[in-house]
Amino acid sequence: MTASNTAATAPPTPDYFSVFALPRKLWIEMAALEQKFLQLSWKLHPDNFVNASETERELSLKRSSELNDAYRTLCDPVARVEYLLAIEGARKEGEHKQQAPPELLEEVFELNESLDELRDAKSEGGDLTALKARLESAQKNFQQKLEEVDAELFAVAKHWDATVEVEASGTNPHAEREAIKQRLNELLNGRSYIRNLVANVQKELL
Amino acid sequence: MAYSDKVVEHYNNPRNVGSLSKEDPNVGTGLVGAPECGDVMKLQMRINPDTNVIEEAKFKTFGCGSAIASSSLATEWVKGKTVEEALSIKNTDIVRELALPPVKIHCSVLAEDAIKAAIGDWKKKHGIAVPVAEKVAH
Repeated sequence: MTASNTAATAPPTPDYFSVFALPRKLWIEMAALEQKFLQLSWKLHPDNFVNASETERELSLKRSSELNDAYRTLCDPVARVEYLLAIEGARKEGEHKQQAPPELLEEVFELNESLDELRDAKSEGGDLTALKARLESAQKNFQQKLEEVDAELFAVAKHWDATVEVEASGTNPHAEREAIKQRLNELLNGRSYIRNLVANVQKELL
Repeated sequence: MAYSDKVVEHYNNPRNVGSLSKEDPNVGTGLVGAPECGDVMKLQMRINPDTNVIEEAKFKTFGCGSAIASSSLATEWVKGKTVEEALSIKNTDIVRELALPPVKIHCSVLAEDAIKAAIGDWKKKHGIAVPVAEKVAH
């Protein structure tokens, strides 16, 4: 049996981090990830399976597609956090436990109202200057919030990685990790909200 | 996926759009949102403190057709009901009435949450203890 065949018949991989033999840390060295990705891709390349059985060929294809998903997810820092929370059981898409940050809702609602006013004013040919100025300043405000969220996301991710290291040394920082996961979840929720808004405002201001 | 006729009907003729004064002691306001889709829903009701009957309900929702239809339907349903009756409205009732597809179930959840949040706000104003289940952290 060749090395490539072993790769194709290995048991199903439990998660994207282990695909690359990485610990579940949020900081990933991109150059090393890319190198590993190319290596694994090459191993799974269809050319290596020309003489393999049907089953092995199918498996190698399946592994390839998993590998691509894994790479794409881990390359994107936000998708990486989302994925980590999903496999850690802290984030379930589509469930109503995904809560919007209450402190944001009020502002989100007001901004949406201003957007509505702008749309109405546009269709009625009214004066847009004041409305546009209001939206532009709100836009700036939300951009800044997005930067703040990203900065905190980065800091909390570092904190998470520290607990992974602590765990490797034998202690179990369970409570701390639960708190971190919760905060990461909140930050992601706030982030997607703000991003949608900024995109909507941008569209209307064009 | 196409919207059901009932969703389209509510979307084209939403009932009870508007707002009530947040400062009014008899008005409860529920503001909830779903971060996945960016929807935000405000549901307000004026409640008679002597009878606990919801006399007026208004909503304003920024979101997809299903979110608008769900909140529109919610305002229709709570009007004339007592607080207790309104609290028994389940998102599954809304799903059934509007024939919402699985991907839009969160819209109905949002509407149920908004009802609970609005009643919770009103109870808070009146110093009535709010059971944990009704405390919607949205």
